[in-house]
Amino acid sequence: MLALAAAAAHAHTETGVAGGLVSGFLHPIFGPDHLVAMVAVGLWGAQLGAPAIWALPITFPLVMAFGAVLGVAGFPLPGVELGVSASALVLGAMVALCVRPPLAVAGVLVAAFAIFHGFAHGTELPAAANPLAYGVGFVTSTGLLHLCGILLGTLIRWPAGMHVVRASGGVVAACGAYFLAVNLGVLA
Amino acid sequence: MRRLCAVALLLWLAPVPAFAHLVSTRFGELYTGVLHPLTTLAHLVPWLAVGLLAGLQSPRTGRWSIVAFPIAVIAGVAAAGTVSLPFIELVNGLSFIVLGALVAAAVPLPPWLFLSLVTLFGLSHGYANSAPDIRDFQSVLYASGVGLTAYVLVTLTAGSAQALATAQPWGSIAVRAAGSWIAAAGTMYAGFLLLAG
Repeated sequence: MLALAAAAAHAHTETGVAGGLVSGFLHPIFGPDHLVAMVAVGLWGAQLGAPAIWALPITFPLVMAFGAVLGVAGFPLPGVELGVSASALVLGAMVALCVRPPLAVAGVLVAAFAIFHGFAHGTELPAAANPLAYGVGFVTSTGLLHLCGILLGTLIRWPAGMHVVRASGGVVAACGAYFLAVNLGVLA
Repeated sequence: MRRLCAVALLLWLAPVPAFAHLVSTRFGELYTGVLHPLTTLAHLVPWLAVGLLAGLQSPRTGRWSIVAFPIAVIAGVAAAGTVSLPFIELVNGLSFIVLGALVAAAVPLPPWLFLSLVTLFGLSHGYANSAPDIRDFQSVLYASGVGLTAYVLVTLTAGSAQALATAQPWGSIAVRAAGSWIAAAGTMYAGFLLLAG
């Protein structure tokens, strides 16, 4: 009977796809410092308008992936957690104060923070049940968080909506300040 | 003795899996072939990228993928038994980056270049889909299954991408963002294969 039992033949059986996808997908969402910063990226993109609103969601994942490869390689990037917290503080402040620098300046600033975010996710990639699934999961959830920010950011077409967006930026900045204080050891 | 009889009766009545639906045996390995690329992210994601790229080309150019990609995939599956290619996983990792970046950039490609890329990556993915333990006529069914998935996936994705990109002002941005996600996932995958794998 056992000998006759048909075993499914797989060219190369992939394991841990579901686990890898879920852990990758949840990593940015359960890391509140990532979550608020990614929403802020979308909010700021919406505030800056075209071309930033579409340049950000297309270039951010690529730069973040570069940061993740540095993380996989074990590159000694100093102050990763500080960089992630500072990104929430700075990006939130940009949204709250409605700062509109030239696209190149905004792009470089966001790209620098994307490296830190990617690095923080990337260091955990080799330990994932399935590294590829982990990568697909966290890129997808990061992109969806940008989308949340962009959709919330479309409120700026109404004056009251602009207040909501700037207040959201203020909340992100406050969260960032808190995470930064915790990481610096100022707060427990 | 009565207890023993009862246990024996219970064992005899114990449910055994009943394969009442025999499609999987009747068509042999066809379903294994259909499911393999669908359940393997290393194939599924770049195949979606082939479809997205085809959808962003002019219909005249993009249409080639519907014929070329499944044929290249089947040829790749068939070639796997004859030649040995050790770096195939890395080539497939590269396919994420190249195809994803081209979708993100949304550049119209010359037909010969588009056709070459689709054929090259079709061959490499077909090769990686091969199943050496499936033999004889079953391997024909298996290769047909893989090719069928290649055809359906690329056709549906290309059609959806084309419709989305032309119907909505944000549609082409959505397709391009999807391309950048694929390129990003591929960059990490290739980085992992090279550095930590």
